Amino acid sequence: MPVVCALVPAFKVEVARLTRPELRERPLIVVDRLERGHALAVDPGAYELGARPGMTLLQASACAREAAIAVDEPARCAALWEEALDALDAASPLVEDAEPGVAFLEMRGIEGTPRAWLASARAALGAVSAGALPFRLGLAANKFVARAAALVADGSIVRPGAERAFVAPLPLHVLDFADYVVERLSLLGVRTLGDLTALPHGPFVRRFGPEAARGHERAAGLDREPLVPRPRTLRVERSLFGEGTAEREEQVLFALRTLVARVADDVALAGKRCGYLRLSLECEDGETLELPTLLAQPTAQAAIMFDLLRARLEGTVLASPVCGLRLGAERLEEGGTERSLFAGSDPDPEVVAVALARIEAALGPGSALRARVTSGHRCETRYAYETFDARGLVRRAPHANAAQATSEEGTLAYRVLAPREVGVRLERGRPVAVGGRAVVEVAGPWRVDESWWAQALDEGALPYASDAYDVLLADGTLWRIVHEAQRWYVRGAYD
Amino acid sequence: MALSAATQPRRDAFAELRATLAGAHGAASPEAFTLAEEAVLRTGFPALDAALGGGVPRGIIATLEGASGSGRSAVAARLLAGATLGGGLGALIESPTGVEGSLYPPSLAAAGVDLNRLLVVPAQDAGGAARAADVLLRAAAFGLIVIPALTLPAVAWTRLAGLAHRSNAVLLALGLEASDELRYFASLRVRLRPREVRWAGAGGLFRALAGADVEATVLKHKRAAPGRSAALRCTWLEAAAPGAAV
Repeated sequence: MPVVCALVPAFKVEVARLTRPELRERPLIVVDRLERGHALAVDPGAYELGARPGMTLLQASACAREAAIAVDEPARCAALWEEALDALDAASPLVEDAEPGVAFLEMRGIEGTPRAWLASARAALGAVSAGALPFRLGLAANKFVARAAALVADGSIVRPGAERAFVAPLPLHVLDFADYVVERLSLLGVRTLGDLTALPHGPFVRRFGPEAARGHERAAGLDREPLVPRPRTLRVERSLFGEGTAEREEQVLFALRTLVARVADDVALAGKRCGYLRLSLECEDGETLELPTLLAQPTAQAAIMFDLLRARLEGTVLASPVCGLRLGAERLEEGGTERSLFAGSDPDPEVVAVALARIEAALGPGSALRARVTSGHRCETRYAYETFDARGLVRRAPHANAAQATSEEGTLAYRVLAPREVGVRLERGRPVAVGGRAVVEVAGPWRVDESWWAQALDEGALPYASDAYDVLLADGTLWRIVHEAQRWYVRGAYD
Repeated sequence: MALSAATQPRRDAFAELRATLAGAHGAASPEAFTLAEEAVLRTGFPALDAALGGGVPRGIIATLEGASGSGRSAVAARLLAGATLGGGLGALIESPTGVEGSLYPPSLAAAGVDLNRLLVVPAQDAGGAARAADVLLRAAAFGLIVIPALTLPAVAWTRLAGLAHRSNAVLLALGLEASDELRYFASLRVRLRPREVRWAGAGGLFRALAGADVEATVLKHKRAAPGRSAALRCTWLEAAAPGAAV
């Protein structure tokens, strides 16, 4: 199977250079953020100076002082890569998106010579703005060797049967071995893939584990991993522009109902179900309001789509009359919706999704949340909130649908209060009055001492230390108070 | 004075009727006021369920009233556990910046609440909380919706009571005391009082909160006998602790 590999080494670095051409002549480190950030990618120049992905920004800049720093632009990276993949569709119907910066094209059954295949891929990339990235192309019988060919030199072609000889002089870094494995192999005198293939397969795999088996095969120019083509993206989009404008909500909803019916028909005709809707309202003053809407479960039913979009529109205020609507259906999926045999009384995810959209329309984005327990030592780090997603409402198995435990004893609950400074009177180091109220019982202190190492390691984090007490006041209130930075705060109440 | 004298016989008759009814309720067996299994949401406390005639009836507004530390959040957490463990959904509308703060998710999880099936809605004011309750009740997908005991006009409570009835959900208001309007529209009111806070260990670092004993009194119940009370025992679980020593 002839495979073309289209490769951009250090993809994030090249995207940063595309945005800022003045960085082309300097070693470059791409970080996630400037404050307490980490290096995501480094160019060969910065790598030579000692910077490595995963280092903190301080560590990477200390290693490569002359290197420039650029902040990652994930949205731009994703957009450019998507554009490149769409362009490569013109060269082959089967394109695998291995990772940002690496794509494989299946060329079997396509007429032409290997050189013509490479030329067609290059021409496809040249037609889009992402083609300005320094793409390297390689062609071989399998994905691993094609990638190695692209790494060695742009336009390399490895003839069938010559794979083993081609990869033999390449260093071990071409394989995805962990650094410590490469280091251990180097100590054993194994530095190239040719050296690696000279080792007996069985003992080598027993020593280095199952991952080594794949590496050993690849070192011999074999790669059994099949090409996994990315799904074809199909978009359904309809727009509605009339002669007049819609000034009232009912007029907009009337037009929306018509538009939704057309889109739903198109989706159903394609035999798909839509998971994402993108509604654009074009106003008379030239403004365009975008309302992206995630569906709880993919559907082709117009009524469900309309209910959800109407809920999204409820909290929307338009500055001027609407002169046009555009509705796109995305994330189209095959097949129907799986329903459990015991799902009769389950909450309908679509109804829940409409309610969530209404909540967000009424109270603003981020108003429909789900709590999650996380690990941490401090109260505020032991939980987190995330957006409530109706798609996560999976019916549990009937046997797991246990009845509520009933016992004489319940569990005392705890309420997190907004931190409020309070006066505390101490006697022999113990609180005896809080906010002017006598303390009947006290327990603690429980000390939390975090990030004390951060300053020593120059990680930029601030140390945190506090003493917490549980106090029972004379009026029956049960508070958790915290002594932090010479001040006392009420942090929570047991209830 | 004259008016008082004129109404005295009527007031005496009313007092007599009340005493008769109280006697009848007291003499009746608990089964006489037990609601059907599917018509209630169990609190998980057998004593309180018995006092309520089986549990909190569905389709009503209910209140849990009491000061901070009275155990009202513990009862609410147990009800949320019941609502979410059976495959249903629960909702918690709260004001994190308000006086009451917000329920601590690890303590909810320790009480048995399935956090994946619990919707948390932070509302900035009473109007937002009422609107969120309105939307969730209209969806008819949430078995229990917990809100702060808001001070809302009667017309808002009328609407919420009607929606709760239609969706067969429990709208549970938590607070120090219900407003006059809420008292009127709530079909069930339970007052909670702390009786004793239990501690374990000798003192200082070795002293730790062990739990609390709480008394729950049914102040009002439109579908069963009011006036009953139950003693509840709540333990404090280490898994729910708001921080750990390092």
